[in-house]
Amino acid sequence: MPSAESGVYVVVPAYNEESTIGAVVEDLRAAYANVLVVDDGATDGTHEVAKRAGAIVLRHVINRGQGAALQTGMRLALLRGAEYIVTFDADGQHRVEDIARLLEPIRAGQCDIALGSRFLSDESKVPAGRRLMLRCAVWFTRIVHRMPLTDAHNGLRAFSRRAAQRIDLKLDRMAHASELIDQIRASGLPFREVPVVVRYTPYSLQKGQRLRGAFRIVLHYLLGRVLR
Amino acid sequence: MNAFQTIAILVILTLAFAVILAALRGWLERKELFTWLAISGAAAMAILWPNVTTKAARLLGISRGADLLLYAAVGLMAVGFLMTYTRLRKIRREMTLLVRHIALDEAEEPPFKVS
Repeated sequence: MPSAESGVYVVVPAYNEESTIGAVVEDLRAAYANVLVVDDGATDGTHEVAKRAGAIVLRHVINRGQGAALQTGMRLALLRGAEYIVTFDADGQHRVEDIARLLEPIRAGQCDIALGSRFLSDESKVPAGRRLMLRCAVWFTRIVHRMPLTDAHNGLRAFSRRAAQRIDLKLDRMAHASELIDQIRASGLPFREVPVVVRYTPYSLQKGQRLRGAFRIVLHYLLGRVLR
Repeated sequence: MNAFQTIAILVILTLAFAVILAALRGWLERKELFTWLAISGAAAMAILWPNVTTKAARLLGISRGADLLLYAAVGLMAVGFLMTYTRLRKIRREMTLLVRHIALDEAEEPPFKVS
């Protein structure tokens, strides 16, 4: 077990991901000691599989959504004294080796938040439909949040401890990605985007957002902004 | 009384009776009881004497009493939806905080301890 990485906590929100979570946790555990899976009220074997793979497991007794799960995981990581917190998707679309690239500028004191972007390198084979939708999301980000990001909806992110302390996601479901960007801007902490590769598999595509979901997310986010 | 008035008054009387019964069993506060009875009374009046609502409507520049009632109903319903929605959000938020609290309380550590 690499003891040098004991300050790094990898938070993996998971809802019914029993087919992928085991491999994801094992891959992560090969490099990082503290892998924290938040079982968001899964009804399949996610909980057991994650535990068997060696993760610290938290359970939401009722499904509360990805935003809520991330916040729960980050809270525990902070309570346990994490120096760096990484968020990582449970569906196997991220690469473990990209985590080091995200942590590098934070460790070097160049920024407090590193956001993975699949569009900064051409290695990710983003399907055309998905690409168009994500492009729209980026424009939404530029207009609504006034943040010049290239990939606003990537689950692979890294935070310094002080950055994580300033994040408090209140939008429980998928609109948390937009809320997070607002909070990063409000925190005033330096951030940067780092190229990462997103592996598209039939599974991750099926679990990902479709157009109808995207509209619902925009609606949730806007309502969340109006009704504080 | 025409057929509509008869049916409507019967419905209102039934509802008023149910409200009184609920209050007697302690399911409603006294204040709530009077609010519901006042609403029932106003509805009964509007049905028995439509001229009253028409007069009120004319004061506002609306020609028919039924239109006034329609506008009022739509407005009240919109307010009701908004209130329900905000309350729902609050409950959801509280539920998340509760679920989070339980999750943090019962975090399961793996048998190995690395640090």
